[in-house]
Amino acid sequence: MAPRNRTFRPRVCRFCTDKELVIDYKDVKVLRNLVTERGKIVPRRIYGTCARHQRRVTEAIKRARQLALMSYSGSTQY
Amino acid sequence: MRRYETTYILRPNLGESQITEIIDRTNDIIKNDGGTIIDLNRWGLKTLAYEIKKEKQGHYVYFDYTAHGSTVEEMERIFRIDDQILRFLTIKLADSIDQETIDNEIERIAASAAAEKLAKDTEEAGEEKAAEDTEKAGEEKPAEDTEKAGEDTDRNEE
Repeated sequence: MAPRNRTFRPRVCRFCTDKELVIDYKDVKVLRNLVTERGKIVPRRIYGTCARHQRRVTEAIKRARQLALMSYSGSTQY
Repeated sequence: MRRYETTYILRPNLGESQITEIIDRTNDIIKNDGGTIIDLNRWGLKTLAYEIKKEKQGHYVYFDYTAHGSTVEEMERIFRIDDQILRFLTIKLADSIDQETIDNEIERIAASAAAEKLAKDTEEAGEEKAAEDTEKAGEEKPAEDTEKAGEDTDRNEE
């Protein structure tokens, strides 16, 4: 079976490259880029986030949802 | 002693005095049990991402403090009883904290607050110059954001 034709995606974790980018549940601006339009957390295979940072991202998003900073479903507009 | 941070959301229809009263009351709980308040920040009235107890907006109050676990438990019990508090979230930041770190943190936060205030004052004083600066900053930042957002949506479509 021929390998599926996949487009190349950068395999570098953006949080490892950019040390200034802090994952924090209070900082919705950063987290907003890591969820889909429907508010789902994007799997790490898409952005190439490393395991450690993806864990922190998931935690932060879930905390932000509890505080109604982000929505459980649907887009977050600010 | 452990270091915690708590954010709570108050009902939007409260007056300034009522908000201050609730904040003072919570701070007293911490202080009376031997804790210290490191930082207190009011985020003001924000729109909630979803309705909580039929409210669409809420006053956010954030504070950073040291306390014993039992104190936090007691504070949260009172939060649960109080009808004015829509939601709260406590996060443990550190398992132990010594007096030196507390003092350093308080100093650091006070310094950054002072710097912010100074920036604001100079902005008001030298209107022309400051206005130019903020305009530049304003132009640069959103442009970056939209670029990033554009990237993300591209990837989503793939």
